[in-house]
Amino acid sequence: MARMTRRQFLKASGTGAGALAVTGLAGCASMGGEIDPKSSRRVLVVGGGWGGATAAKYVRAADSSIEVVLLEPNRKFVSCPFSNLVLSGVRALGSLTFSYNGLRESGVTVRHEAATALEPDARRVRVADGYLTYDRVIVAPGVDFLLDQVEGLAAAQHTVLHAWKAGPQTTELAKQLRAMPDGGVFVLTVPPVAYRCPPGPYERICQVAWYLKAKKPKSKLIVLDANQNIVSKTALFRAAWQAYPNIDYRASNKVVKVDAGAREVTTDFGDTVKYDVVNLIPPQRAGAIAVQADLVGPDKRWCEVDHVTYESLKHRNVHVVGDSTTGLPVPKSGTMANAMGKICASSVVHLLNGRPAPPIPPLNTCYSWVNDREAMAVVNAYKIENGKVVQIEQKLTPGQSTLYAQHAEGWAKSIWADVLGSGGPA
Amino acid sequence: MSRPAGRVLLAALAMLALAAPAAAGPMDQPGYAKAMTCSACHGVTGNSRSDAVPILAGMAPAYFKKAIEDYAAGTRPSAEMEPFAKQVKTLGVEELAAFFAGQSREATPVKAERAAVERGRLAATPCATCHGDAGQGGQGDPGNLGPAIAGQPAGYIRSQLLLFKADKRSPGDEPLTKMKSILKGIPDGTLGDVAAYYSSLR
Repeated sequence: MARMTRRQFLKASGTGAGALAVTGLAGCASMGGEIDPKSSRRVLVVGGGWGGATAAKYVRAADSSIEVVLLEPNRKFVSCPFSNLVLSGVRALGSLTFSYNGLRESGVTVRHEAATALEPDARRVRVADGYLTYDRVIVAPGVDFLLDQVEGLAAAQHTVLHAWKAGPQTTELAKQLRAMPDGGVFVLTVPPVAYRCPPGPYERICQVAWYLKAKKPKSKLIVLDANQNIVSKTALFRAAWQAYPNIDYRASNKVVKVDAGAREVTTDFGDTVKYDVVNLIPPQRAGAIAVQADLVGPDKRWCEVDHVTYESLKHRNVHVVGDSTTGLPVPKSGTMANAMGKICASSVVHLLNGRPAPPIPPLNTCYSWVNDREAMAVVNAYKIENGKVVQIEQKLTPGQSTLYAQHAEGWAKSIWADVLGSGGPA
Repeated sequence: MSRPAGRVLLAALAMLALAAPAAAGPMDQPGYAKAMTCSACHGVTGNSRSDAVPILAGMAPAYFKKAIEDYAAGTRPSAEMEPFAKQVKTLGVEELAAFFAGQSREATPVKAERAAVERGRLAATPCATCHGDAGQGGQGDPGNLGPAIAGQPAGYIRSQLLLFKADKRSPGDEPLTKMKSILKGIPDGTLGDVAAYYSSLR
């Protein structure tokens, strides 16, 4: 690591940790002046995922006199929901990849660069060549990985993949799975809560097991789950796994070490498990800029926000939406980030116009694919009581079915358009 | 217009702009903020673009309210909508019903198969009593709650016809008795054709 060049370091950090990497170098980066000075009231949005892209679009839609600038280093939006289907070969990553043109058509200025630092007192965000000022900023940095919590992971991160941000790693993990010999062992590790997409690892287990059953019937899938039980849709996943005798599920097995040379992982009990292919989903926290800007709470991982406005409890005029938030009784899901993005946009526009923000509760629906043609769902409804989000009800579909798979397809089509505007697949 | 008059007008416009920096946008429509989260599945302004999810734009308020009541009570079965209907009730069903009723409906972009549409046209004759010759529904007639189904997505219409046929949607509702007895005599495949036909109407 000490001998790593800056270029290697940036590359090694990957897109997910990109903001962190640049932040670490902020001291030696050029401290340029203000770029693109604002001509009217401006809302800056940091991060163009589900929450940030939605927020940018909805601020602009609500009040076109407000300038909206979105900072997102990636040129394309790749949907995490449905990306587990790329591992099983049921879907192509291209069908989950979208341009940001729909946002541009909505009047959002999209800048493909990383926010390197947020300075709440000066109301400005640093980028590589200088800084941009704002009236209010919406921070939607998603999650970053705590690589140092798994010994050996930082050094092995090019081959030991998470594929927990849809993109190049998704394609690469699918390749590793295809190349695995029949009779091989695929090890999938689930991090301790809280992490992005609670049912995601279990849907992925279904997809990998479905693929192995069809294409490599002598192979096995060992799941090492840091949690005591399946975190989400527990009974439904248990039922779905009846179709997959190739799954060896081991609860309360937290992976603390990986040795890519010996191809083995070690649990906190000291057990070692050999693998042919490993998918190590690391422990997570809010995206790096949230940590840099002191938005995270006492746990040093997640951001506490007001339940109505999504304004940070630590800094004024800074709002946080999506997976990086904590304190609301809600899952870290795409639907939730989309709902938060809209509600936060409404709040920001009301506040900028000197009006109180209306209290709007979020909602959640989350589909999981259990094979190539059936899905199931969990739904959460909420209300706002005394300024706090309170769950009214959580409901599961009675089982898995092709009907829910059709609903899942319909949901995806609708929500991708809701997040990104009219931009079709890239 | 003379030049001075133009200047006065410009000045007046400028003053107006200063006095009201918050131009009336969509957020000032009653119900907009409450309806915002529905768009994840039902589309912006309630114009669903998916085959499985109904279009809410232009829906008669009485029909909307009954749907919410039935979903919340579980008498209109939907794992997804049951919790959300309860959420709508806490938000205020009247305001949401009025908001969606006030949006202009855009027919589904999902194309129906032409042959199915033609078969469905012949089979749909008995439906016109309540749903109108062009699927326009009762249009506010208090004696006819039949919804406007023209341009709704075929997948959604079909799924509802199957629920009615099996008496799983709104069991015991007197106004639906006749429709359910008619549906019992129609094969499932033909119901798909009827759905295709109504989805094709504009």
